Amino acid sequence: MTRWERSVPVYGVPVLNRGFWGLLIVVVIGLVLSGFREVVGLGSGVSGMSDPFAWGLWKNFNVMVLTGLGSGGFAVGIAAWIFNRTRLHQVMRVALLTSFLAYSTGLTMLGIDVGRPWNFYWVFMPWHWNLASPLLEVAVCITFYATVPLLLENLPPLFEYLIYEFPKWRGFAESCEKALTKVYPYVIGLAYILPIMHQSSLGALMLLGGDRVHALWQTPCLPLIYVWAAAFLGYNCVVLCLLLAKVAWKRDIDPEVLAELNKLTCWVVFTWTAFRFLDILVRGKILFALIPSYFSCLFWIETILIAGSAYVLYSGKGKNLQTMFLAHCTCALGGMIYRFSPTTLAFRPRNGAFYFPTAIELLVSIGFMALAVLGYIVAVKKLAILPASNDDWLKMAKYEEQVKPGIQLTGYAPVEH
Amino acid sequence: MAMTRREAFKNLAKGSLPLLAAGCVSTVLPEVAHAEEVPMPKGALGLLYDATKCVGCKSCMVACNQANELAPDIRTDGLHQAPPALNSFTKNIIKLYRTADGSDHSYFKQQCMHCADPACMAACMFGGLRKDKETGIVWWNGSLCVGCRYCEIACPFHIPAFTWDGFNPKITKCELCRERLAKKLEPGCTTVCPTQAVIYGRREDLLKEAKRRIAASPGRYFENKVYGQVDGGGTQVLYLSRVAFGKLGLPELGEESIPERLKFQHKIYKWLALPAALYAGMVMFAGKNFKEHAHHLVEDQKKTGLRPQL
Amino acid sequence: MAKIEKETIAQSLKNAGYSRRDFLQLCTTIVATAPMGLAFTEKATPAAVAKAVAKAKKPSVVWLHFQDCTGCSETLLRTSKPDVADLILNIISLDYHETLMVACGKQAEDALNSAVSENAGKFVLVVEGAIPTKEKGIYMKLGGRPAMDVLKEVGSKAAAIIAIGSCASWGGVPSADPNPTGATGVDSIITDKAIVNLPGCPPNPYSLLGVVLEFAVMGKLPALDSLKRPKFAYDRLIHDHCPRRAHFDAGRFAGQFGDAGHNQGYCLFKLGCKGPVTHAGCSTRHFNEMVDAWPIGTGAPCFGCTEKAVGFRMPAFDKVDVHLATPPDTYAPIAGSVGTFGAAAAGLVGIAAGALGGAAWATSQKLKSSEEATAEKTPTAGGK
Repeated sequence: MTRWERSVPVYGVPVLNRGFWGLLIVVVIGLVLSGFREVVGLGSGVSGMSDPFAWGLWKNFNVMVLTGLGSGGFAVGIAAWIFNRTRLHQVMRVALLTSFLAYSTGLTMLGIDVGRPWNFYWVFMPWHWNLASPLLEVAVCITFYATVPLLLENLPPLFEYLIYEFPKWRGFAESCEKALTKVYPYVIGLAYILPIMHQSSLGALMLLGGDRVHALWQTPCLPLIYVWAAAFLGYNCVVLCLLLAKVAWKRDIDPEVLAELNKLTCWVVFTWTAFRFLDILVRGKILFALIPSYFSCLFWIETILIAGSAYVLYSGKGKNLQTMFLAHCTCALGGMIYRFSPTTLAFRPRNGAFYFPTAIELLVSIGFMALAVLGYIVAVKKLAILPASNDDWLKMAKYEEQVKPGIQLTGYAPVEH
Repeated sequence: MAMTRREAFKNLAKGSLPLLAAGCVSTVLPEVAHAEEVPMPKGALGLLYDATKCVGCKSCMVACNQANELAPDIRTDGLHQAPPALNSFTKNIIKLYRTADGSDHSYFKQQCMHCADPACMAACMFGGLRKDKETGIVWWNGSLCVGCRYCEIACPFHIPAFTWDGFNPKITKCELCRERLAKKLEPGCTTVCPTQAVIYGRREDLLKEAKRRIAASPGRYFENKVYGQVDGGGTQVLYLSRVAFGKLGLPELGEESIPERLKFQHKIYKWLALPAALYAGMVMFAGKNFKEHAHHLVEDQKKTGLRPQL
Repeated sequence: MAKIEKETIAQSLKNAGYSRRDFLQLCTTIVATAPMGLAFTEKATPAAVAKAVAKAKKPSVVWLHFQDCTGCSETLLRTSKPDVADLILNIISLDYHETLMVACGKQAEDALNSAVSENAGKFVLVVEGAIPTKEKGIYMKLGGRPAMDVLKEVGSKAAAIIAIGSCASWGGVPSADPNPTGATGVDSIITDKAIVNLPGCPPNPYSLLGVVLEFAVMGKLPALDSLKRPKFAYDRLIHDHCPRRAHFDAGRFAGQFGDAGHNQGYCLFKLGCKGPVTHAGCSTRHFNEMVDAWPIGTGAPCFGCTEKAVGFRMPAFDKVDVHLATPPDTYAPIAGSVGTFGAAAAGLVGIAAGALGGAAWATSQKLKSSEEATAEKTPTAGGK
């Protein structure tokens, strides 16, 4: 139990431990199989995709679902910077890191999924953009977002790392930091408008799928529901990362911040659920939810996982860390299932067509997820990402000064501007 | 620090002003690029397939492969061209609809419908699928294609086929033998059809012919309907059939074309007005809060002597 | 031999006692044989053809035999309804034919010399049999001279050369591995004259008649393909006109000689039929003017006698590739089934789900125990 005041790296834990090597093996398997896919193509045995099911695990899960999980950057950011929930600033770095890793691995996965990646350079040539296509919006937006605002937002911990560890780079890093500070509001404005645009466009993608998407999911409001789901998935991911940090690296918890995040999650989930039901009622498709079928089961599983978890969080039980953790797990699971449904689980192109990923597809997908996790673990150990108190920083400083003599982590009086 | 209700409403009011402005801009400004009604090109070419005349000889399948210099799909037994569906070797296929007891059957020739407002074209990010301005033929341009397969998701008729094997995949679909037309030849399929079940011509002429046939033989054609006249916004390939079109695999589409479903999206993004306004609003709020935050950071630094974290 | 004034075909037939009816029947048969590809039958009625043929002068033909079995001559003679052999012999002026002429020895040599010199530049040379080329061509001699030399000499004076049979076209049986005599076809020896190849073992006699008459009536040779074969007779594969094609398309094959499929007359592809790669007209024209008197018709797979790469080269029972695959008699369904469910993949999903679920549960348990530990440590903090 503590009060989070600044970010502190995980110290005293080696980076190259068993977990690291285990994850690295999984990553390498995924990369090797990706190379194999590039040579052999996407058919017969490499992936389970076919003409009726043209999009499979990689696009629908690694890109569409995981970037939803990685929406912490803008979900927490909007609450912190636009609605001025100042306590949330302490978890911004975690949120931004998870976003960055989810988006970069997702974008790479997309590059491996498309059949003619050598033509992707057209994304930089506006005169060939087809403005009618939602996928164009997604491609341009995600590319720009991941390479500019999200990257810039993730640079401060790196600058600090340079400042503390490499005195030679201190001047450069400090001037970069100052420059970034000057333009920061403009950067974060982009960092919030862009994800809203492309997360909703991800939803718009399936509008063109027409009746192939089951009626319980297909709606003209799909973009709005998608971006709203990204918001609560983002919160889920951040809370889970924080609680996992407690278990893995014995970090202290700030119940105030967690309570704030839980409240936000509940608020978003309740409005989301209400809107979803309203949408189904207005479109007159409520019967589909009431008549037992594979689709109604899927719908209720999603809804109960999402809304039920939020209810648990909202009630008194949500203060207990174990319940909180499990509730966020189930809520995230429900949210991921929701985002996976219109493209895969509730997508019926025609009779007789069926999709199940192949082992290779799964291994590549898992490999890229492992890459993100690996990146996360290395980053939190090397950089100041996870939140802690000022006292924890001083403890860390004492430890580091023993290990790396000459390093200065304290005693920085403010410079008059 | 918790926000008071007063503050919340103030913020909401401040935030909705730019939204309101953007909303006005979006609705008042004229439509850009994407028109609501998509007229048929003047010289629109097409096919008329009369399932009641087709005898299932499949000469059109052989002729199509030959005309397009495409190797036939012999993967089933190595001897025969027997594709199970349209695929990277097959731009045109004859399928058989048959009831379980064999009491009713009909052949069905499946190939690209060359829609008036193609969903595949709306889907394609960089314009890899485009509609010829004169003939209305929808064709694939490999140099602009990324292989994302969104066109396959969008096409309501399940036409574009992706090359699943190999490292240089293409999108394969009927292009009405564009290159032959340039040489004043007819498409491969219509040239060889022995019963003239599929014929080629200008879409308006084909539509007239279809209507004439319906009028000349009442009761012969399902619901006296020409499929493709208005379906999905209108297609250049028209169908006449005795059995229900749905049984042949043709989807039931209203008069609205598929890309019309993106109408609202396009309204929101018009001139990027709404996003720009939202961005302006966010920068405004973020800037204000950032100043406050920076002030707190300096205060904290004075107290602790620890470098502030952005 | 005394010089005979070249009569027209009409006169010749009349002198031989043929009725106009017989002649018209012959012309009908020619039109049926070659409705396309021959200039004089193109879009012509039998009556028109008869008129054109009647006016033409009897062409002089010199027929040389080299490494042959005389099968090609025999096939010409094995026609009887009407007696085409006789007709042919009265339509053309066969000035030299070792099997059919009476002369022998020195008389035969003189016959050849006079036939060639009298009709120099105007006669049609028909060559039957391959020409040996090894060791200066000593393996076949005509009147003590190597065949090669005879061919070159006679051929140089011919107006056109018809190589009848696979042997004369590209070497045929004598050229089979190891080809000890260096047997080869006419167009390897003579390269500066118009040559028409009529491969086959034997070829259909009407092919010969068509070529000869085209020359006699129109003064030129019919349209030829890249292997110098007349298109009207060799532009199609056996496979494309085979009466058993429906069995091929339906997947009904004879597996062994004498099995049920073979007895039913099923497709002989699996027995090594070379029909898919052999250009010839046998599947429609048959032989001996009898229906089904052709190899496949009798249940024997085609061995590709007209094709240099196939006949006498490919083993009899080796299956060939079908170059232009066409659809079978089955149809694609309106909605076929697509998609597989791999056991390995399912297992992987199960393992991943189990691992994640287990990890989540373990983590939650750790959180519970750590909370309890915290609560124990600060019992007065209200157990928050």
